[in-house]
Amino acid sequence: MSNISASLTNKFPGRGEQIEHLLSLLGEESDPTPQCIFIYGPTATGKTSVTRELFTKYDSAGQHYAFINSIECFTQRLLFERVLNSWAGHVPGVENRFANYARCDNLVDFVNCVRDLLHGKQEKTHYIIIDQAERLRDRGPMLLTSLLRLSELSDVNVAVVLISNVVWDKFRPRHGGAFDPVLVFFSCYTKQQVLEIIERDCPAGEPAKFFLTFVDAIYEVFHRNCADLNELRHLVAMLYPKFVQPVFEKQANRSEFTRLFKLCQPYFSAASERLYLREISTTEWQKYSAISSAKTAPEDVTMSIHQMAENNEGLDLPYYTKFLLIAAFLASYNPSRLDAQYFARGKGPNKRRTKVFTQDSLGGKDRQQLLGPKAFGIERMLAIFYSIIAEPADSSVDVQIQIASLVTLRLLSKVSAGDRLDGIKCKCNVSFETIRGISRSVRFEIDRFLYDFT
Amino acid sequence: MLLGRLYGRTAPAEVVGQAAAVKTVAAVVRQTVENGEGNSVIVVGPRGTGKTAVVRQALAAAGGIGKHHVVRLSGFVHTNDGIALRDIARQLLAAQDVAGAAGTFAEALAYVLGVLRAADGGVAPVVFVLEEFDQLAQHPKQVLLYTLFDMAQRAQTPVCVVGVTARIDVVDLLEKRVKSRFSHRLVHVHGVESLEAFTDIARTALRIESESRYARQFRQRVDEILTTPEVAAHVAAVYEMDKDARQLLQLFAPAAGRLTVAEPLLCLEHVQRTIAHEATSGKMRVVGGISLLELCLVMAMHSLVRGGSCRYNFEMVYDEYKQFMSRHVLAATGGGAMKIYKKPVALKAMEALVALEVVRPVGAAGARAPKEYRMVQLMLEPAQVLALMADRVDVPVVIRRWAQQ
Repeated sequence: MSNISASLTNKFPGRGEQIEHLLSLLGEESDPTPQCIFIYGPTATGKTSVTRELFTKYDSAGQHYAFINSIECFTQRLLFERVLNSWAGHVPGVENRFANYARCDNLVDFVNCVRDLLHGKQEKTHYIIIDQAERLRDRGPMLLTSLLRLSELSDVNVAVVLISNVVWDKFRPRHGGAFDPVLVFFSCYTKQQVLEIIERDCPAGEPAKFFLTFVDAIYEVFHRNCADLNELRHLVAMLYPKFVQPVFEKQANRSEFTRLFKLCQPYFSAASERLYLREISTTEWQKYSAISSAKTAPEDVTMSIHQMAENNEGLDLPYYTKFLLIAAFLASYNPSRLDAQYFARGKGPNKRRTKVFTQDSLGGKDRQQLLGPKAFGIERMLAIFYSIIAEPADSSVDVQIQIASLVTLRLLSKVSAGDRLDGIKCKCNVSFETIRGISRSVRFEIDRFLYDFT
Repeated sequence: MLLGRLYGRTAPAEVVGQAAAVKTVAAVVRQTVENGEGNSVIVVGPRGTGKTAVVRQALAAAGGIGKHHVVRLSGFVHTNDGIALRDIARQLLAAQDVAGAAGTFAEALAYVLGVLRAADGGVAPVVFVLEEFDQLAQHPKQVLLYTLFDMAQRAQTPVCVVGVTARIDVVDLLEKRVKSRFSHRLVHVHGVESLEAFTDIARTALRIESESRYARQFRQRVDEILTTPEVAAHVAAVYEMDKDARQLLQLFAPAAGRLTVAEPLLCLEHVQRTIAHEATSGKMRVVGGISLLELCLVMAMHSLVRGGSCRYNFEMVYDEYKQFMSRHVLAATGGGAMKIYKKPVALKAMEALVALEVVRPVGAAGARAPKEYRMVQLMLEPAQVLALMADRVDVPVVIRRWAQQ
């Protein structure tokens, strides 16, 4: 027992307390265990990996626990059959024609199968470990309660371990009857622990201390908006090669930190946010960043990074379709009572009043910009469309087909019933930034036509 | 053995203070088993008061008398009548298939019992134990309950129905025709009446039955721990909250789990640590781990709530955040200490909050809107937000002031 604890504590820095708590709950093999253990904590605190590792060490034969991911087992039946398979040591394969150990369609079948399978094997506790347990709540109202009471229902020595990042209070079923499990909390890592963990990612051949200084800097930049350890590791793995590149290119040596940071400044400012948001994928980054080394001018680097993220904009629409989209956006966000003011043609373009709204006249938090797009009738959009295009559209432009293609592109979404042919209502799904880019490309001043925007 | 009792694996030797209930149930069961009468009874009582233990003891008492079958059903697993019927057949006949007996539920059940009778060559009484009776009563038309009660009343086959439920109003759940066939015999199981009795439960569970020196020492330590003011206060709190014995016993489980040969007595410190853990709410612990940006968003939502809107979407929250940051933080610090994060970064932070279920989507209509415009609600009380601020050390002064405004 103590050597399991020692090796695990060694492998997972900063998790000693949790490991010790879990081991004391499991106890020696013949000890009674709690019926349910609930492991919770924020994301990326080692809940799953510690539990998995602990059980592989604790029960090396692997016959007494079933590790289930409840996203993978998306129906009750899959979950039950997976549990039975791993308890029975049954592997679906060619020789048994990929059959499961037993067929369980519902809870009763499962309870009976468990009873038959484990009858006479009472001395050791069998475990069901369920990762992402919050999903169990939408697998039928009784599943969670019954799993918690499994040992009571089947009279065999079974325990359930649930892993989740949602607190237990949100699990309690409405009909009651689920008594509280033993709670084990996985706390957030401190800065020291984060550094210690990422230190293990240090690439071979790199001095650890040098690497740590870099990690420290990254942590200081990012810990304010991202508490997730995995995200930090991703960033470190992506940015570190850029950081050491000047060293290999003989532009700086390892002791000149400030100089090194200055050299990779363009990457940090331009790319880090995009990398964090995964706008640039890992492969893309590795492929393109090789092109630009630190020798090239910083502006070029910034340019290439921008291109990397923006070359997949994908909104290359025909000329009139762009206007259609703009019209849809205006119809979605402007109140219809102001349409005459904005778009009435007869008075001439110079009489088109663009009223300057003071802060008081704005709708506060209820303005349409914040509330999101509202539905509009297709006729209104067409009226706006014909009013904003400079010259009358060619009759060959089949506007209706363009509308249909915008709907298939999901730039517009239809809100009226699918089989209605007249009085169709739509919403515009495009963000303000995108529509601004589009209107710039057709030289249309959209800001003059928007009501209550900032 | 001690742990088994604390975790509720092994039943306690006796149910404290439920002798009367056991006697009543046992008498009902005995009438069926001995005299072949049909009977029905429902055991009612709050959760964690020992209803199941009462039934188990009553059955054990009746077990020695004569030959009979026991069928156990639970409202949790037997979610519809078809499943329940199949399981009844399985429990009674072990192997046979009921598919042969098509027709109504009552016919099928009669068929099962008929097969049973033929196999036994006599009339063996059947005791049905229905756990979570209220859940079974939710089934459409209550066919299962109707059939069972009907059989109990007609007394062709001696049947005893023992229901177990936590709902006091269980009889009102029954349909009229079902209710009229029920004997209206309710056995109430009450929780413990006094704090002393409640403490006694813990003492009983922690008792070691022997007269060795060790046992005496152990008992002394248990008494010591139970009389420590801190522990006594917690026990009283649990007693006042819900009188759940299981929750009380869980308090001592970690300490008992850490018993070794080298340290054979319960350690007060472990118990204290468990109490401290219980005292802080789990939600606050999880929320304590969020990043500063997420905290700012929580603050923005908090100030929206103070402003009077109870539902808001990401755009509003971000707008509020931006407004505050540009008005106060940048003015105060010259933009050096904190920067305004871009919208996509903030959106990612918001999604993390939704995944933690600190923020909950409201309103079904918004489900089809783009993510930024879906209406959400903060699931923290204003006081909790303030406590969260107070707990963290890395919060800048400006944000702190924002919380106190």
